[in-house]
Amino acid sequence: MLEARSLRKRFKDVEAVRDIDITVAPGERVGLLGPNGAGKTTTLLMLLGAITPDHGEITIGGHALPRHRSRAMEVVGFAAGYLPLPDRLKVSEALGVFAGWYGVRDHRSAVRQALERFEITHLADRLCSELSSGQRTLVGIVKATLHDPALLVLDEPTASLDPDVALRVRSGLLTFCATSGAALLVTSHDMREVEMLTERVIFVARGEVVANDTPAAVAALYGHVDLEQVFLSLAAEHGRDER
Amino acid sequence: MSCHRIRTVIRRHAYVLWRAPHRWFDIAFWPLMDVILFGSLGTFIAQQSNESETAVPYLLAGIMLFHVLFQSQIAVATGFMEETWSRNLLNVLTTPVTEVEYVAGTAIFGLAKVLLALTTLSLTAFGFFRFDLGAVGWSLIPIALILTIVGWGVGIANIGIVLRFGQGAEILIWGSNFILMAFSGVFNPVEALPGVLQPIARVLPSTHAFSALRDVLAGQPLDGGSIAAGLAGALVFLVGGTAFSVAMLRTFRHRGYVTRFS
Repeated sequence: MLEARSLRKRFKDVEAVRDIDITVAPGERVGLLGPNGAGKTTTLLMLLGAITPDHGEITIGGHALPRHRSRAMEVVGFAAGYLPLPDRLKVSEALGVFAGWYGVRDHRSAVRQALERFEITHLADRLCSELSSGQRTLVGIVKATLHDPALLVLDEPTASLDPDVALRVRSGLLTFCATSGAALLVTSHDMREVEMLTERVIFVARGEVVANDTPAAVAALYGHVDLEQVFLSLAAEHGRDER
Repeated sequence: MSCHRIRTVIRRHAYVLWRAPHRWFDIAFWPLMDVILFGSLGTFIAQQSNESETAVPYLLAGIMLFHVLFQSQIAVATGFMEETWSRNLLNVLTTPVTEVEYVAGTAIFGLAKVLLALTTLSLTAFGFFRFDLGAVGWSLIPIALILTIVGWGVGIANIGIVLRFGQGAEILIWGSNFILMAFSGVFNPVEALPGVLQPIARVLPSTHAFSALRDVLAGQPLDGGSIAAGLAGALVFLVGGTAFSVAMLRTFRHRGYVTRFS
């Protein structure tokens, strides 16, 4: 579904991504993890075509970036917890616009179904600018699933959600992936969420992949019982390097 | 290229226009103020001398046609800026909509804004000063076409500047209109400009359009040479503005500037 080889990216003096390979098989759920500044967001933005890598190749659904970016994005749904939605538009209108850009012909029906999937049909007539941060995040995730993408890319999807809403989102995402067969690539700082959502995790530190296996295998590799401990030890090591 | 996605861009900006009362200033209030300002100025000049009775049509026709350029330019540029103001740029960049489709949608939507602004201008100019732009006849079409294409070219170039230099550069979106207004001879022949500035005016395609407009207002036939030069120059503006923006978008993606807007 997604294949990225030898990705490198440097911003002036900072080598944000050194040499990263990422593959996501059809239907596979993968977590991209790492401390702040590890290169996760830069990697995601390169995978989405928003940043051009200095080196490397990216193919999504058989479409190579950047040449076939538009075709590749037809099979990708993207949401980030930190991204707002177009203000001045109602939720149903904003989602209808994104559905249109994703090529959905019957955007009203697609929007209704996607809102029902995450149980937020009551937000349809609200202005995007009036939503709480949690509601905005939920609508962002609905936006990413409008066109039944083969690959969901989510950057910190539940960062601003209450625990009960976050749980509902995770369940909704798992159901969506199970029923549609979509693959998932997700970044998160919530290791319990990662263990619930993903089958495989890719740990990134200092712009490099340092581990790539099932959550349990990665924890065992570092001699810990769970991913939380792995994350803390990598973050501490990364912080030492930064100092 | 997908017509469906272009139509969706148009729908997106129609929602914004509908929901944002301040956007109606561009197509209703400012045109009204311009008609009052330039119509009154022309009336005053005409009262000073019988030989100046053409001042009202010259000034009103000039400002009305300038709105064609102005509305075309800001529809394209602010259409893009709408995504930066609402921090929606990354959302747009991660959809299949292409740069060409997005700009085409804003340009087409801009034509609707031109028509709305011209309606305001025509009604108020006739209501207050009994000036009918329609009396110029079919000659208006090639003149308006030149100004529309110039507006698109400048608007696209302005997008490139914002992509490269960030939101602080958006002042140019408004500033470029004043520059074009001063140098295009909207109300006066190029010869009325200071001599050192005249060469700049002569290379602007909009100058040829306004020159042709004044000829027609003076009862002369439409100057084919001015129209041809204006159209050729307008296409150069469009191609040049597009090439510049494409290069700036490449830099934008290479340097990761998308994080500035998200």
